[in-house]
Formats: sequence, C-alpha cells, structure tokens
Amino acid sequence: MATTHIAGQRRQELVAGYSFVGPALLILLIFLFIPMFFTLWMSFRDWGGISPPANSTPIGLEWYQKLLFEDNIRRSEFFLAFKNTFYYAVGVVPIQTALALLLAVIANSALLRFKGFFRTTFYFPSITSSVAIGLIFLWIYQSGGILNQTIKFFFPDYKNISWMNDPSGLIHNTLGLFGLNIRTAPSWLTETNVLSLTLWQWISGPSVTMSALMMLVIWTTAGTMMLVFLAALQDVPRPMYEAAAVDGATGWDQFWNITVPMLRPTIFFVVTLGLIGTFQVFDQMYVMTSGGPAGTTISLAYLIYRAGFKDAQMGMASAISVLLFIIIFVATLIQRRVFGDRAQT
Amino acid sequence: MNKRIFFLLTALLVVTLASACAPVSPATTAPAATTAPPAATTAPPEPTAATSAGATNLQLLGWSASDVENETLKQVIADFNTAHPQYNASFEASPNYDQSLQTALAGGAPPDVFYVDSLKFPDLIKNDVLAVPPDGIQNPDDFYPSLRAAFTANGTFYCPPKDFSTLALIYNKSMFEKAGVEVPTTWDELKAAAEKLTDASAGTYGLSLSADAARWLAFLYQAGGVVVGPDGKMNIDTPEAKAALDYYTGLLVDGSAVTPDKVDSGWNGEAFGKAKVAMVVEGNWIVPYLKNDFPDVDFGIAELPAGPAGKATMAFTVCYGVPKNAAHPEASWTLVNSLTDEAGMKKWTDLGLAMPTRKSLREGWVKEFPELTVFLDGADYSHPWQFAPGFTVVTDAINKGIQEIAAGQATSESVLKTVQSAGQDVLGQ
Repeated sequence: MATTHIAGQRRQELVAGYSFVGPALLILLIFLFIPMFFTLWMSFRDWGGISPPANSTPIGLEWYQKLLFEDNIRRSEFFLAFKNTFYYAVGVVPIQTALALLLAVIANSALLRFKGFFRTTFYFPSITSSVAIGLIFLWIYQSGGILNQTIKFFFPDYKNISWMNDPSGLIHNTLGLFGLNIRTAPSWLTETNVLSLTLWQWISGPSVTMSALMMLVIWTTAGTMMLVFLAALQDVPRPMYEAAAVDGATGWDQFWNITVPMLRPTIFFVVTLGLIGTFQVFDQMYVMTSGGPAGTTISLAYLIYRAGFKDAQMGMASAISVLLFIIIFVATLIQRRVFGDRAQT
Repeated sequence: MNKRIFFLLTALLVVTLASACAPVSPATTAPAATTAPPAATTAPPEPTAATSAGATNLQLLGWSASDVENETLKQVIADFNTAHPQYNASFEASPNYDQSLQTALAGGAPPDVFYVDSLKFPDLIKNDVLAVPPDGIQNPDDFYPSLRAAFTANGTFYCPPKDFSTLALIYNKSMFEKAGVEVPTTWDELKAAAEKLTDASAGTYGLSLSADAARWLAFLYQAGGVVVGPDGKMNIDTPEAKAALDYYTGLLVDGSAVTPDKVDSGWNGEAFGKAKVAMVVEGNWIVPYLKNDFPDVDFGIAELPAGPAGKATMAFTVCYGVPKNAAHPEASWTLVNSLTDEAGMKKWTDLGLAMPTRKSLREGWVKEFPELTVFLDGADYSHPWQFAPGFTVVTDAINKGIQEIAAGQATSESVLKTVQSAGQDVLGQ
C-alpha cells in the first residue's frame, strides 16, 4: 500500500517534470535540432536553395572535397574567410576580456562614486541594436568623419585613413615600414601556396577595415562580459583582501594573486563565449562592409550567407556551416586545454 | 488546483520562449559595394489599400529602388485593380529580396508575380521554378532583341522585361566649363579630362569610379574583350581584358579617379551630386536622384567614351516572372501582361524613371524625355548583365580584384588569372 503510494507520487512528479521541460524541448527540437540535422543532410546534396529541398540531388562529399582539398575559387574563398575570422577572433577575444575585467574591477571598486551610472554606461552598448550601432559607426569612420577629424586635431600632419575601405593588412603594413611589401618580399613568401592562399596572404593580419570593425565589437561586447565579471566579483570573499592587506600586499598584488585566480572559471566562461561569438560574427559585415574591401571582412558566417542567398548554393553554404561548427568545437577544446581542468565549474 | 497552476505556468513558458525565439529581422541598408546596379535604398512596405470582398489577392514581390518608384508602381497597380475588380493586386518591396524570394520559392508558397533580375534569371531557370507563359508573351517581337534574349532560355521567352537601364557618362557642366574641358569620347580623352578636372588640394576629382564589375565590364567590352567566348569557354585572361583592367584601375591609382567613399559618399551619385567629382559612370536611375536631392547641379549625359574596340555599355533589365506553382496562374499572367503590354508599359515608363523595353514606345518616350535619349540609344550597343548560373562568384572575384589592384596589393595579371579560374570552376570547365 505504502509503496504504491510512493510510486504513484513519483509518477506524478515525473509527469510534472516532463510537462515543465516539454515545451522547451519541443521548441529546441523545432528551432534547433531539426535545422541542425537538416543542415548536415543538405551539406551532402546539391541544392540551390531556390526550389523546394526535395528537388535537390545527393552529391556525397563533393562540397567538402571542393572546400578543403581542391585548389579552386571555393577553397580560396573559404580559407580567406577562415583567415579573416581567425585574425578577428585573435584580436577581439583577449582585448575584450581584459577590458571587461578592468571595467568590472573599476565598477566594483569601493572607492568609486556613482557606481550605478558607470555600470549602466558600460553596459549600454550591449543592449543597443547592432544594426543601429553599425550605422552610427559607419558615419564616425567616414573619411571626413569624427574619428579622422579628431585625430587630425591632435596630429595636424595626419593623412586621413579611409577606415571603411582600406584592405591593407596590419601585419603587411608593419612589414612595409621595414621596406617589405609584395614587390620586395621574397618569392617563397609570395609564391608558396598553402590551401589556395599564398603565405604572403596568410600573414596579412586583419585589414584596417577589419580592425575598425574589431574596435566597434570590443566596445559593444565588453559591457556584457563586464556584467559577468561583476557578478563573479561579488563572490570573492572580502576577508581575503583584508588578510592580504594586513600582510602588506598592494592593490596590484591583490589583483593578480586574489582577483584573477578567484575569477579563473569566469574568465574561462567569458573567453569561451567570446570565441564562439567572434567565430560567428555576421551583423557588422552585413550592415557595414558587405565583406569588402577586397574581401578582407568576409567572415565565415558572412560567406555562408553569401553562398546561400547570393550565389544560390545552399548545399555549399550548409557544408561551410558544418565546417564552422567543427572549427568552433575544436577551438573551444584547445582553449579548455590551455586553461586547464581547474577552470571547470 | 495544482494542475491548473501547472497548466498556466506551462502556457506562460511557451509564450515566453516563443517570443524569445522570434526571429530578429535584420534591417538592411544599401551596401556600398553592391554589384547590383541601382543603389537600392530600402523603404518599408506599406499596407495595401482596401480589399474588395471576394477578389483574388495577388502579391507582386520586388525590391525598392526609390520612394518615387514605389509610389509610381503602386499607382499603376491601383489602376490595374480598378480595371480588374476581380483581382486585388499589391506590391511588396522587400528589404531582403533575395532571401524573401528564395524562402518563398523553396517553401512552396511563392508570390504570384516577382521581379527577376537578368543576373538571377539563369539561376531560376537552372532550378526550374519559372512558369512558361501559356499563351506566350504579348507581341514578343516588339521587345529589343537583346532584352528578349536576356529572358529567353531553351527557346522559350519566359517573362517580359518591365524596363531597362544602361550606363552612360554623367558630367558636371559647370565644372567642365571652368576647367575648359570638352566631353570625352575616347579613353585617352577621358583620362586627360579626368586629370585636368582633378584638384586634390581642393578635394575634387575627375571621376568617381566604384570598384565594381558591373561598370568595369563596360570597359572590358570597349577594349574588345569577352567574359565567355563564343565557344562557351571562360576567356577573360586576355590582353584586351588586361588593357581594360589596367586602364580602369590606372585611373584610380593615378588619383584622377576616386572611389566614392574617399569623398565621403555612399555611392557615385552622391559624390557627383556633392560636386566632389566631375564625372560618373552611372545608369538612368541617377537622373531622378539628382533632380530630387541635388536640384542645383547642372549635369549633362553623354555616351561612354569609346575604347580601342569601339563603343560598349552595360544593360540591366528586370522582368516580371510567374512561378511554376503559382496559386492563380491565370490571374498572375493577366497582371504581368497588363503591366507590360503597350498601354501598361507606357503608363509606367512615361513617368520618366524607367525606359520602355518595347521598340514601339521609343519614339513617344524620346519626345517626352529628350535629355535621356543617350541611355535609350545605349540599347543598340549594350551587353547584358547576365552570365551562367552561380556567376556571382566570378563578379565578386572581379570586384575584389579591382579593389586589390587599386590598393596596390595585386597585379592585373594575377587578378585575371584568378577570375579566369573562378569562371572555369563555375562553368565546370
């Protein structure tokens, strides 16, 4: 009698539990799992994306073959997008994380007055539409825009940079200062082809325009990440700082020996989120540059959009999506290694 | 009691999640580097006017070139609805035309009639989504042969071109007078004029040229080059193409021509309107724009200067397509025909925004808009903006190449080699 009662109660709990998660599961199924497997399936088919999917024909691994192993325009575009996205992520993630941590420590500081005001100000860019921000920055970055005018005010000899239309890479430009450019570079650099791009192209660094987009993104996302750090900072026990102060540790020592180690799991979280977000970057390219100039702001996500909707190659777009997933997955694994197991929460 | 609370909570959860999952519609702006010839500015579609009961609803999907054009087309369609009370047609200008059309077609619920750009036509044919007109196109021989050819595949004339545009040289009369420059008619004269009109210290330049395949191809044809040879093989890596590319990028490298962003403009038309440049290579869409936004600029229109191989320009055209699985095929074709027969096209093109694709309307239109005759004459020596399916990969490679050369990062030889192999890949050669 007693056991059946318990069993009945468990069943009731089971029903209640599933009815709670049911709707969420259903939505995940419809909006996440089905599209995911559809994408995977489509990456093995020739589908223009114009006629119904049932009209597509299976072509096996041809897209992967073209994107990874054949020396052609598709592969050079894919690796160009990969290169652009890689430089973008490598530039954005560390700076954004460091800046967010700095902002959080400042906003958390006991000495700071008007905390609420600063927290709101730092966070504000994150809740503004990326399209609106993109349009405003387009205007700031114009040749005769505010940015150039401001620099000119302080440095009258400054020659306007056209931020939105400068395809020269930062590393190329730095090498140029030492007299190394495409005409003077040794032929092993300019003529060795690795994955459909020359070594010289690989070492370009982000273009000036890409760097402008990177500055914008760092500015917008640092606020979000700051919020995460702020929450984590509340959990660092105050007595630790007091004990350290008694032992004569300076603020700098306290930051490196208490704050950073205590925030390790949070830093791991922020870097992971940052990596995933940067590898999927799309909005800024779509609104501000359309992948230009000279293709230096084509990100992998933008290439997927272009292949699917401009070139009518939805099958190939799907294959790039799958490859992007693998890239992000591997990047996250590597990064987990770097941060070590202690970072796990 | 408990169950009711559960139910309420569940319902609440569903609603919250559903709203959270709602797609965020990305707003678009005119991308500065689009290859599509008209600088497409977007305007939100307006709700259509009163629906008469029992009438069949017809949706016409297109993009918006300008507010003036939208309003005009809506007026033409309102006239159609009055003349055909059994139908209720409406125009929808989609800010994301490619995505809207593609999802509608792939999802099996296509619009009743839609714009088909000549560049996109081969892709649509390859995917077999366009309907064959059951009774043919009305009076097909009246259309300019090159425009008819742009929408003919496998011997079938699929859809009537609604209008067309060609490229010409637009020049600033007062700047020409001040510099004492005559209207250039050859490449050499254009170069000399551009140099003479450039005053970098004053921030004015001879020419605004976008790094854009749609404009460079006119120079390619003027040099006697081709994209695809008569044998159907990609053939762009030629001395003629090199001459055209060197000439075009040479203007940019010399500094007598600039890209519009260098003079703080979104596109060539804006740079011209602000009098930062004395010349642009643009289509007839620039005329209403200049009259509206820069009424004080006194401009002239001339044929593009002839190259080593003579005159050439590009023609851009759009037709009204009907999808294969249209819900009301008969109604769709009635709309298409009444928009493109002699009377319907006259109504549309008499507003001066677009040029008639029917030869029979030529004379009346020229009388109405004598200053635009140059554009219309371009039809005789124009090349269509149309290639094989999936060719946007190649035009993108050209855009990229021009930008790289202008920035000193590539040579014309290497760019042409890349474009050639990209074309071969797309054509499967």
